[in-house]
Amino acid sequence: MAELRAARRSSTGPPLTGIICVLLLVFVSVASASRVVGNETWRNAAGETPEDSHHQTNSTVHKKAFPVLSLNYDHVRKPFEIALWILLALLMKLGFHIIPRVSNVVPESCLLIGVGLLVGGVIKFIQDETPVLDTKLFFLYLLPPIILDAGFFLPIRAFTENMGTILVFAVVGTLWNTFFIGGMIYGVCQIEGAQLVRVDLLSCLLFGTIVSAVDPVAVLAVFEEIHINELLYILVFGESLLNDAVTVVLYHLFEEFSHAGTVTVTDAFLGVICFFVVSLGGILVGAIYGFLGAFTSRFTSHTRVIEPLFVFLYSYMAYLSAEVFHLSGIMSLIACGVTMRPYVEANVSHKSYTTIKYFMKMWSSVSETLIFIFLGVSTVAGRHTWNWTFVIVTVVLCLVSRVLGVIGLTFIINKFRIVKLTKKDQFILAYGGLRGAIAFSLGFLLTENETKSMFLTAIITVIFFTVIVQGMTIRPLVELLAVKKKKDSKGSINEEIHTQFLDHLLTGIEDICGHYGHHHWKDKLSRFNKTYVKKWLIAGERSTEPQLISFYNKMEMKQAIMLVESGSAAKLPTLVSSVSMQNIQPRQSARGRAIPSISKSREQEIRKILRGNLQNTRQRLRSYSRHDLFIDPFEDNVSEVRFRKQRVEMERRMSHYITVPANRQETPPVRKVCFEPEHRVYTYDDSEPRPNPPDAVSLLSESPPGPKQSGKLGAKVPDQEQQEQQEEQEEQEEQEEQEEQEEQDQLKLSRCLSDPGPNKEEDLS
Amino acid sequence: MGSRASTLLREEEIEEIKKETGFSHSQITRLYSRFTSLDKGENGTLSREDFQRIPELAINPLGDRIINAFFPEAEDQVNFRGFMRTLAHFRPIEDNSKNVAVSEPLNSRTNKLLFAFRLYDLDRDDKISRDELLQVLRMMVGVNISDEQLGSIADRTIQEADTNGDNSISFSEFIKVLEKVDVEQKMSIRFLH
Repeated sequence: MAELRAARRSSTGPPLTGIICVLLLVFVSVASASRVVGNETWRNAAGETPEDSHHQTNSTVHKKAFPVLSLNYDHVRKPFEIALWILLALLMKLGFHIIPRVSNVVPESCLLIGVGLLVGGVIKFIQDETPVLDTKLFFLYLLPPIILDAGFFLPIRAFTENMGTILVFAVVGTLWNTFFIGGMIYGVCQIEGAQLVRVDLLSCLLFGTIVSAVDPVAVLAVFEEIHINELLYILVFGESLLNDAVTVVLYHLFEEFSHAGTVTVTDAFLGVICFFVVSLGGILVGAIYGFLGAFTSRFTSHTRVIEPLFVFLYSYMAYLSAEVFHLSGIMSLIACGVTMRPYVEANVSHKSYTTIKYFMKMWSSVSETLIFIFLGVSTVAGRHTWNWTFVIVTVVLCLVSRVLGVIGLTFIINKFRIVKLTKKDQFILAYGGLRGAIAFSLGFLLTENETKSMFLTAIITVIFFTVIVQGMTIRPLVELLAVKKKKDSKGSINEEIHTQFLDHLLTGIEDICGHYGHHHWKDKLSRFNKTYVKKWLIAGERSTEPQLISFYNKMEMKQAIMLVESGSAAKLPTLVSSVSMQNIQPRQSARGRAIPSISKSREQEIRKILRGNLQNTRQRLRSYSRHDLFIDPFEDNVSEVRFRKQRVEMERRMSHYITVPANRQETPPVRKVCFEPEHRVYTYDDSEPRPNPPDAVSLLSESPPGPKQSGKLGAKVPDQEQQEQQEEQEEQEEQEEQEEQEEQDQLKLSRCLSDPGPNKEEDLS
Repeated sequence: MGSRASTLLREEEIEEIKKETGFSHSQITRLYSRFTSLDKGENGTLSREDFQRIPELAINPLGDRIINAFFPEAEDQVNFRGFMRTLAHFRPIEDNSKNVAVSEPLNSRTNKLLFAFRLYDLDRDDKISRDELLQVLRMMVGVNISDEQLGSIADRTIQEADTNGDNSISFSEFIKVLEKVDVEQKMSIRFLH
């Protein structure tokens, strides 16, 4: 909605983007028109021509005037074109979101394919040869980022709980699809006319393999936009990831034998063994790299700048290593991401983790966009043999086999599931089986023979059909069938506590029944993890931190950042007061305390202060160094004292507004200042008769890598001070507090922006 | 007497348990053999020591509370009926309720949540007070975390859940907080047929 308004306001937006896109289109087409996007030719050309031109300029420098401005495009041709392609893809993506009406109806993937078709058409029109989705390019550069992104952020709990179902769908379902489609196609070919009879059974089965695998890229692209509930998402997506192993094995199997001609029982048996080797081997390779990555991240506390790169490199190596042995690269990548994540998250700094997250999302987004555009372009480019029967039969068979497979398998699976899959679920599962670029690339890898182009045409048609037709209609169907959508829950500490509680409870009950089920093994694994693995892989004290505490800290941190970010939009006073109103209102009767509200003029003052101090912050930047991160107050020991002090103040103030502290009836606790002796700069409790919340103070002393566990905002009990004082003093203090709090807030803000905070001259009291 | 014959399960008893809890015949017999294997004293009832003999329960943070949940008020022995009644809470919810006799089956969502709630609420005052919550947190989190930190977590938990301002979590608030959690899945064990 905001984008819409923004678009209306700057009405030059969409037309401008459109113009840019058109210009780029023309430019790209012209650029690639002069030469084909091939690999070897570029290298030679790029190598030869600069030398030539240099020689020429050298030899002719005596004869001609020195060329002030010269054109040497070949020098930068390849990177230039790559960058141009990516830029074009991203501008298209941008354009779609500025025009909201279209993107509501048509999923982005379809639009991108359309653009690809357009570009391909333009290029073909200008000149006959067009760039094609090179298989190596796809499998080595475009696919890994998407899979890594998916694997790293895989919802583990849902995945493991439904692992059985996912495996059944992935393995048995894909096998069923392959043999059904392959067999039926073969039958149709035999029955049908002359030109099809040449297609033998093994080729048909090979074709069945290629076209039956559900594609993770397409599924992600479409399901991302419909926000379906987690169970269905994880079922379809998990299936699309795990069926890679099956596809790899079957593909190689049939390809080998389509040359040999016959398949014996031994071969089939070897195929089964190969399947286990491929999948388990892939997982093993991924896990090894994952643990290596986690171990490395343990030691990176002094070189925070390169931390994200470790994650990416180890994952990519896992993928490539698996591909070397023809193991399942996708499963390796997933295993690597899954094993690495909890340890990396604990070891790596907050900023590095954010970097990792955003880089992954960025890369996967770019890859996805490029894949779909190239699909469109390659469609125009490739040689097609359109055979009506073959294509129509393929499309129909894909649908039919998917539906039958899902229904049949669900019938069996439901006997073993606790929460059964309903008819609606089954429909979405069947309808969500989209094919995508993997099928196309595999088809492209086929050896050249007369049937290849026919196969390719059919594959492309199936892909288009599933992505465009099914992709477009799935959203209205989801609405129509009222399928449960994804619940938007911001992490609630209650849910976390109770979920863990229930885990323990269920484990106990399972032990009583003597039933070694899901919870039992999960409990054993997490116990093993806690006692042995975490000690090795997590640096420092965080290795003993219980999951609940880290969850709580994360939540508090998020809330602090959120509060300050909304404050930076000059909304902090209102937000704070509304929060405090919300929380304090019900308690008012209980304690009869008057809450002063912030007057309008006060608000203005506070805003002015905020703005002024924010500007101050920027003026105090240190000198620039390329390799230094700005001093992260969380990690700099020198300013730790200062920030501890400020933070405690901050917490005290913040807690007054964020949470309503518990109604503690105890007498004011003894003022314990538990700092180490040399840090006795804390003048906090000297000036005013406010009982020092010792909790806040002692918390800090207990946890040296405390900054990470900071944001203990919601906790404390500065309440007591109010209870003990008179109201007028209260009012005064609170106004002061607010002012200081705003300054504290923007300190926090500055911290988050990783600038060194402004040096507070005044004493914080 | 202690002879084997008297401890075997009679058909009528199986039928009654089936009606009350909804377990199937084979499940009941299977659980009965488990019951007898736990019952070292062979007197047809389980005591607390019998439960504590299970090794995994000893390391479970909630072990004691779970054991207590099996024993009705102020009793020290639980017979097979009671054993099954408690376990019935963990049966998966089925779509068509075959239980016409009982108004609400033992394994309904509300009853499951009530069972969990009772594990928190030891003094049975129908409220989870801050102290009760702190006790549970302490059990789950171990000894390394300071009291203040736990206290802040407890405070925040109560503040999130509490809607009527009594500084404790009542059963309805408990239900509300867990409405997004898939309790049917989380609190069910697939007892093998």
